[in-house]
Amino acid sequence: MRAQGSLRVCLLVALLGIANTSYAQHEAHEQHDQHGDSHQGMQFDSKGMVMNSNVDVLPQNCSAISEDLAFTVRAGTDYAIKNAGRIFGFSQYEFRAKPCARVTVTFINEDQVRHQWMLHGLPRYLYAQGMFHLEANAGETVSGAFIVPADDATYLVHCDITQHMEKGMKAQFIVGAGGEQLWSVPSVTADFNIEKRMPYGAYMLIGIVALISAALISFRLLGKNS
Amino acid sequence: MRAVIMLVLGTVLSALLFPPQWYPPKLRFTLAEYFGPPAAVSTPNSTMMAMPELTEPMCPEDLLGWREAQIIEGVSIAATLACVADNPYAIAAFVKGTNNVSTDTLMRAGLTPDALVKGADLDGDGDPDEIHIRLEIAELNGGSPDSQEPTAQYAIAPGITPGMWVFVPKSFGMATENFDSVIAKELLRSPSPAIRVEQGDRVFITLENTHYLPHTIHFHGVDHPFLRADGEGNDGVPMASELPVEAGQARTYELTPRSTGTAFYHCHVQPQSHILMGLQGMFIVEENRPNNTLQSMNIGAGQVRVVSQASREEYDQEYDLQYTDIDSALNNIIQETNDPARIQDWLHGGYNLASSHSDYYTVNGRSFPYSYRESLIVTEPNERIRLRVLNAGGEGLALHTHGHKATATHLDGVAQAEQSQVTRDVFWLASAQRIDLLLNTSNDGTHSYGPGVWMLHDHTGRGTTNNGIAPGGNMSAIVYRDFIDENGWPITRGEDLGMFFAPEFYRRDLRFGELEPSSAWSLFLLLRLLGFALALGLVLASIVQILMPLVRGRR
Ligand SMILES: [Cu+2]
Ligand SMILES: [Cu+2]
Repeated sequence: MRAQGSLRVCLLVALLGIANTSYAQHEAHEQHDQHGDSHQGMQFDSKGMVMNSNVDVLPQNCSAISEDLAFTVRAGTDYAIKNAGRIFGFSQYEFRAKPCARVTVTFINEDQVRHQWMLHGLPRYLYAQGMFHLEANAGETVSGAFIVPADDATYLVHCDITQHMEKGMKAQFIVGAGGEQLWSVPSVTADFNIEKRMPYGAYMLIGIVALISAALISFRLLGKNS
Repeated sequence: MRAVIMLVLGTVLSALLFPPQWYPPKLRFTLAEYFGPPAAVSTPNSTMMAMPELTEPMCPEDLLGWREAQIIEGVSIAATLACVADNPYAIAAFVKGTNNVSTDTLMRAGLTPDALVKGADLDGDGDPDEIHIRLEIAELNGGSPDSQEPTAQYAIAPGITPGMWVFVPKSFGMATENFDSVIAKELLRSPSPAIRVEQGDRVFITLENTHYLPHTIHFHGVDHPFLRADGEGNDGVPMASELPVEAGQARTYELTPRSTGTAFYHCHVQPQSHILMGLQGMFIVEENRPNNTLQSMNIGAGQVRVVSQASREEYDQEYDLQYTDIDSALNNIIQETNDPARIQDWLHGGYNLASSHSDYYTVNGRSFPYSYRESLIVTEPNERIRLRVLNAGGEGLALHTHGHKATATHLDGVAQAEQSQVTRDVFWLASAQRIDLLLNTSNDGTHSYGPGVWMLHDHTGRGTTNNGIAPGGNMSAIVYRDFIDENGWPITRGEDLGMFFAPEFYRRDLRFGELEPSSAWSLFLLLRLLGFALALGLVLASIVQILMPLVRGRR
């Protein structure tokens, strides 16, 4: 468990590093993408937005829709109350579907601010930027559908308003047997909470501990012999 | 007897192993006289210093053509001659209102349809007078339970990412540039947008609190009633007018300002921390004029690309300059823990503002060298430029214009009579003060000494450093057209500015020579320190051993 944890740290750090260094290229590229002509199939109005809704195009390796599923997800601060250290919440944090299932999500926002139900990691040939996205304005309901690919996988679902994921709006969507569990999904998995770096006074601390233990040990030895 | 031997042994050992770096200097000199200079760390040979490698261009290329003068949705947007420009689609939406532009423009702007709604022309003079602005709160460089890297990153200078809270226009979609990036999108930045309304407008400002702590908006220096029309509090002060807006809640403030001027808006919850966390922005009330459709928000302050009718009459250009200071000990609290209760503990009492001071100084949300990308004032000779200056920080600001003497036309938004307007080259702004400056670039030996790259900065030493390292801080410049290249980078005659784009320069990691001891040497010192501690322990134990019988015997 521990080794796995530190492996993940390395991976995460590596990923962030890559994201950082290639930022300039990404920026230019994605802005073209975002501001360009990729907004077909998008609903965008006073209720909120639905991005990449797909009810009929099958992903590769899916010959037919395996099942039709419907989830109703409520969002708001009320749903965070039972999760320690969280402020925002969903009514459900774990979703399961068979491979090639068609999933309809109805997203109800009970707060007076925007919230999102954003799923990442879908194939980019079918879903622009690999995501399915619902965004509901204060008190509004939006819904959309997507068809999951044939592979077993666990997808990240979150609200990407700054700090909403960190403060509770994080869920996982498991297809088939699923992939690796995600960290810090409220009421599902534990927080990661990396230890902070050792303070610079650590050397001093080592010295003091050594001093005390030496005193204790030699005191014992001397006491026995005299 | 054994104890005495141990004592002698311990004393000798600890004396021998006493870390030499802790010897008093006098002893070190005496030793050096007898035994020669210490050979442990020798002065390295002189070498050419390698410049840190540039990890980013000084002035990124304007791939999307945002710097150019352009017309979008019928709005004529002036060119930006500095390197980095605001998104012109957002500017067009801020002029027309997000309810009056095409979906395509909104998508390109990243704004929601209700972010800035412009309504009726109440006085029939050709511009909308009902303005409804929706602000959210974004946390930049915040912490995460899954990562040590900050989330929604916004660097004020290379590698410097203090935690921040900012008011932001209501936007849609992801908070970052894209899913693979950890960099906040361009609408989410410091400072909070400069807001512009017209005298007499019916203004509604809704705070949609997307943040996890309670906040308010207080309109400092803007004419507003203490109570709303419905009798609810409207001053944004939790001690005086109303309860703060909780996480996930919203509240609308109402104002119809009768007087004009440069003012200030900020959160008034726990003002000792929330304002300095970044919940602060400029609020400008422009004079009422016909056909005066304003650019109601200026993202990240800076150059106003669509100026008001009144400014058009008297000035060639207008800039919003918001100065502030940051104490990273306060701002980085949000990176230390993910638990809002612990964050609140630290903000309330763990951090003591009374015994702290700032380490970063920004102009329009950036410190040098990034400030050079966005905040240069680019001018031709013989221009009249309006600088609206706010010091939103906790420390004083001594704003110095190299090569120019500017004139203070307005103080805290109030126009000064012509004969009492002060012309000088250093303007002192205490916390929260505003000064409107007229910068006249006529080469007459007083107002301007002629074309060049003239620094514009805070003259209080600290103000031009990044955590004590110069050059940094709120440095910007007044640059004449002949001294700026086509990409918007100043043509300077001094040192290569590239070295300041290396994060290690400001992390104190840059070494002017090979002074770092080798790791083998560090290990030796560490072992020696351990040995010293063990020997000292032996001495203490022997002393106790020797003294014990005496103490017992006396009893
Ligand atoms: Cu949310
Ligand atoms: Cu606040």
